Amino acid sequence: MIAIDIQLKQGAFSLAAAFNLDARVAALFGPSGAGKTTILDAIAGLRTPDRGSIAIDGRLLFSSDARVNVPPHQRHVGYVPQDVALFPHMDVRRNLLYGRHPGISPDLERVVGMLEIGKLVDRRVTDLSGGERQRVALGRALMSGPSLLLLDEPLAAVDVPLRKRILPYLGRVRDDLRLPIVYVSHDREEVEALAEVVVRIEEGKVAGVDRA
Amino acid sequence: MRPALILLLVLGSDPFQLPAPAPITVSAAVSLTDALTAAAGEYAGGGRGAIRFNFAASNVLARQIVNGAPVDLFISADEAQMDVVGQAGLIQEGSRVDLLSNQLAVVVPNDRPRTFGSIKDLADPAFRRIAIGDPAAVPAGVYAKQYLEKEGLWQAVASRIVPAGSVRAALTAAESGAVDAAIVYRTDARVALKATVAWVVPTDRGPRIVYPAAIVKASAHLTETQRFLDFLRGASAARVFERAGFTVIPTAPR
Amino acid sequence: MMGAWQIAWFTVACAAGATILMLPAGVLIAWLLARRNFPGRSIVETLVSLPLVMPPVATGLLLLVLLSRRGALGGMLERLGIEIVFTWKAVVIAMAIMGLPLLVRTARAGFEQVNSRYERVAATLGAPPSRIFFTISLPLAWPSVLAGAVLGFARALGEFGATIIVAGSIPGETRTLAVAIYSYTETGQDAQAIRLVLVSVVIAFVALWSANRLVERRAA
Repeated sequence: MIAIDIQLKQGAFSLAAAFNLDARVAALFGPSGAGKTTILDAIAGLRTPDRGSIAIDGRLLFSSDARVNVPPHQRHVGYVPQDVALFPHMDVRRNLLYGRHPGISPDLERVVGMLEIGKLVDRRVTDLSGGERQRVALGRALMSGPSLLLLDEPLAAVDVPLRKRILPYLGRVRDDLRLPIVYVSHDREEVEALAEVVVRIEEGKVAGVDRA
Repeated sequence: MRPALILLLVLGSDPFQLPAPAPITVSAAVSLTDALTAAAGEYAGGGRGAIRFNFAASNVLARQIVNGAPVDLFISADEAQMDVVGQAGLIQEGSRVDLLSNQLAVVVPNDRPRTFGSIKDLADPAFRRIAIGDPAAVPAGVYAKQYLEKEGLWQAVASRIVPAGSVRAALTAAESGAVDAAIVYRTDARVALKATVAWVVPTDRGPRIVYPAAIVKASAHLTETQRFLDFLRGASAARVFERAGFTVIPTAPR
Repeated sequence: MMGAWQIAWFTVACAAGATILMLPAGVLIAWLLARRNFPGRSIVETLVSLPLVMPPVATGLLLLVLLSRRGALGGMLERLGIEIVFTWKAVVIAMAIMGLPLLVRTARAGFEQVNSRYERVAATLGAPPSRIFFTISLPLAWPSVLAGAVLGFARALGEFGATIIVAGSIPGETRTLAVAIYSYTETGQDAQAIRLVLVSVVIAFVALWSANRLVERRAA
């Protein structure tokens, strides 16, 4: 269960979002610039809100009152950014293994099998197609053994016919690894396909929470 | 912690150190390089110990000493820089002596030889550019200006004076033909390849040029340094200096 | 004449030592300035740029004051039996100080060009800042760091103003190519001076050419 209540101001943009998430897959839905990525960044620890608190399963990650701000490398939150950001100076295998932590991480074989990226493991990152990069990035995040997965527009960079092929992988992550997922999207169809809960964000505020 | 230890070890070691008993360090004006190196060679040849020279501009040397650089003997190209060290209280009492003197000379480029009847010939409009060491900073330049003022020539030639960064630079300007004449030391004029002497300033009319020498108070080798200074004021060193064109100031008190 | 090649070897050895000396601090400062906002940041920025802006003689005097027997640092080192002024150590330190600004500027630009997204993702994957630096930032900025080191080395090779003040011009001990050339021109030994100038040009050419090759190959 994720409990968020944060306020953040940057230049002309201000964000005030408070909601709880208790689903296996939740989506943050809204137009671009609404503040969805900012919320993801805050959960991951890449942005520090001005005020508020963030807690996952009772574990406090951020609290302005209690002066708590857990650094990102200690939050156990997997993150796949919109531009994927695979490390260009490493091959696929080293990317996947970068966050591996013995004892916490799942088996590499298992993740590779689930995402069907076995053939790609020794390739250079620059040789991959858009869909392949998405899956490798997903695998990389999973291999760090997170307790929560954040995805920023996971299907935006992928063309329509490919989207239908990627969705099942996300489903497998949800079902096989039993990992809660929060993802950001501005595409209605995408959101309806996967999410159990949809938080609508508009102009830096929560416009509503819908259950699928 | 470990990198710091390694750094200390490296600093404490010394792969370049010469394997000899502690030589004395002599800071001397760069114009004395050849003469002093030759003199020190004779000194060492007599088995009296090694000399470690530091040749640079006198003002640089003076500042180094004032800031605690480990120097035993200081030989300056003019009295002003020695006074700087004296005023800082860093001269060993009674050790300051006037070691050498020099003479000024006017040189002209080889391809335009002239011999002066007197220094007044310098006022000739044919000398459109005259190089001297910068009178604001270089001892040789200070002396040149003093001399020209004393002879009543400064007003006439001031607008044609080209100040140079060092007396060497003034000489090079004359050798290359960039200027029509230069006022340098007689010792410099002797080694000039492409410039000839037009006029040597007589000692009685010229400025008082003195190369003072003094032992630095903080020296760790007072006895050895005194011994070397005595050698420099002796007969065999005098021969070396005179061969280079310097005038040796007699040891008798003025 | 005291071997031109001996003086050359001494100069190159000192410049190489200076480059090694300036690398850890220079790269770290470059990364901090590129990536971290910390109190006193502008002071650090200014301090690092000073040797570039001040006349080298002034930098040399500052070093002399610090490192001589009466100086803050020098006094401490003297008690440990370490002498810096008028030795090759002063040459290396002067060269390192003068080359540092060039290294920091170039390396900093390199770090700033690394997409911070990579570093942020690495953090979410559990990498603490030190691991991010060594596995992400530094490898991706490496061509610039190398170029900065080359510039620093080149500056060290030609260093004169600060060196002569704090290391003196002691034949056989602290005379670098630049100092020797000055000395020879000042005593009218132009032939020797020109010979050393040619040696300097050859060394600088070889050093910069091979370093540029290295950078190109790395960046490819």
